[in-house]
Amino acid sequence: MPSPDPPRDRPGLSVVVPVFNEEESLAILHGEIVAALEGAGENFEILYVDDGSTDGSGRVLRALGRGDPRVHRIALRRNFGQTAALAAGFDVARGETVVTMDADLQNDPADVPALLARIREGFDLVSGWRRLRRDAFLTRRLPSLLANRVLRRMTGLSIHDSGCTLKAYRASLLRRLPLYAEMHRFLPVLGAIAGARVSEVEVGHRARRFGRSKYGIARAFRVVLDLMTVKMLVQFSTRPLHWFGVFGLPFLPLSAAFFALGLIEKGASLVFGTVVYPAIAVLLLLTSIDLLLLGLLAELAVRAGHRRGASLFGAFQTEVE
Amino acid sequence: MSGAALEVPAKTRPALPGVDVSVVVPVDDPGAEIEDLFRAFSQELARLGRSHEFVFVLDGVGGKPRALLEALKVECGNVKIVSLARRFGESVALSAGFERASGAVILTAPGYLQVDPVEVRRLLGAIEAGADFVTPWRHPRVDSLVNRLQSRLFNWLLRRTMRISFHDVNCIFRAMRRAVLEEITVYGDLYRFLPVLAERQGFRVVEIRVRHLKERGKSGFFGFGAYARRILDILAIMFLTKFTHRPLRFFGTIGLGLFLAGLGISAYATAEKFLGGPPLRERPILLLGVTLMMLGVQIVGFGLVGEIIIFTQARHLREYKVERIE
Repeated sequence: MPSPDPPRDRPGLSVVVPVFNEEESLAILHGEIVAALEGAGENFEILYVDDGSTDGSGRVLRALGRGDPRVHRIALRRNFGQTAALAAGFDVARGETVVTMDADLQNDPADVPALLARIREGFDLVSGWRRLRRDAFLTRRLPSLLANRVLRRMTGLSIHDSGCTLKAYRASLLRRLPLYAEMHRFLPVLGAIAGARVSEVEVGHRARRFGRSKYGIARAFRVVLDLMTVKMLVQFSTRPLHWFGVFGLPFLPLSAAFFALGLIEKGASLVFGTVVYPAIAVLLLLTSIDLLLLGLLAELAVRAGHRRGASLFGAFQTEVE
Repeated sequence: MSGAALEVPAKTRPALPGVDVSVVVPVDDPGAEIEDLFRAFSQELARLGRSHEFVFVLDGVGGKPRALLEALKVECGNVKIVSLARRFGESVALSAGFERASGAVILTAPGYLQVDPVEVRRLLGAIEAGADFVTPWRHPRVDSLVNRLQSRLFNWLLRRTMRISFHDVNCIFRAMRRAVLEEITVYGDLYRFLPVLAERQGFRVVEIRVRHLKERGKSGFFGFGAYARRILDILAIMFLTKFTHRPLRFFGTIGLGLFLAGLGISAYATAEKFLGGPPLRERPILLLGVTLMMLGVQIVGFGLVGEIIIFTQARHLREYKVERIE
């Protein structure tokens, strides 16, 4: 604790809700959040991040905030995407605990107290798990299931639903995690690497009442690339040469094999029969060397980042009482 | 922005910081029509009642333009002269000018009357109406057909790749709020893309049709290098605006695509062999397949290095721009 007696107006809990064109949902959502949190006796603030909405969301949010100092609207200049909107909310949030949720009413604010209880138990990040998802199977649930399975296998972290926006974080953890591109989905993984205690809680999930989903199947391909990134960052961001080595070294024996194939077909005369196999051998060799050199380049980048005092994660510790 | 400025005799006016409008003019041609430009813009800005200053950036030229500017400075006072040691190009010249400009609104213009000076009024009017950046569209153009066609092609390509709506990024007769320049830094040849970059940052960018008077730049076909640079510029701006923070999206898409194509070709050759086709060592197409796969692997590798670089900088990244908190 920085000060033994924190000012009374500083909330213990900040709720961050990214909003993009959800004018019909907002009033209902707001009512539910307030009811859930007041019922649990929380001292909270609600930060709606208006991510460049073009419908009446801004107007609705201003109306909700009128006369309630706990409610704020953070208006972004244009639509920057969900990760950026969350980052904007986190940077403004003052609470020691931060809860995020979607504005489309699919998350149920009544689940928030359960998440907070877990945080009080000592966890640093608690993710919601939409066990019974109410979304289209082929375009939404299946890609998510697969991505989460791959993520679990890759990282060893047993979180079932990384993409669920309903999550609770200890603010001191959030300040350490990198948040850019589409990284918000991978915060549990990144948190776990940083040493945070990560847990999950089953939460309800409701069908969309208004509007349409802002995601589609095209996202699946991007998620594959993102997973690859996270895998690499997780395991090798401090020693990237290892990753590139694992990637590139197998090409060496493969190259030798093709080289041998090219020789064998002409007996032991040391003259290549056709150009195809030796040429393949050369390609594999060059690729292998290239990847190793790229690995060295990556080492250089990591080293340069360290020199600027940006330790990639820094071991995260919660305060010891 | 204050409205009408006091009409103090120019000579006695102290060089106060904070005029309404700074006109920044890069000069890279000894034959630049500095005086015409100065008189016309001064008159127009005075008529609008805006306090103003001129910042002329001598981009590696001295002699006559410098003497002329010194004379104007003595005569009117509101002229700043920035001399670059050698020719650095328009982008550097503009940045050097911006550093010295004190206006709330900054107007840039080439060193001759390219566009009818009365358009200054409309540019500033758009800013007053809420725009952060005003980009011109010389329409109809009065220069040679070749120039018009190649400019059109370039802008069309840019519109298609960047999904923007501007028609003429090559004209620097622009007006912008100071805040835009405080957030966006330009280097290389990227000054062309200021409106694109401003829009990406969430600024309100407005396009206005302006009357084109004349063109002084080179006309006709350029060398091969010039075209290559324009194409590379488009590639750079696309990459920088869309993929800076997600390099693997760019490299990975290309790399995986090539890899899969190579895999398909190799699989085809292999399958044919087992169906009684020629042995693989006599199939040069296998070489193509393997080449594509290896190229794909390497390109993905580049993307991963990019991701590492971004990740090491992640703490300094702010991807959003807040308009207001209420």
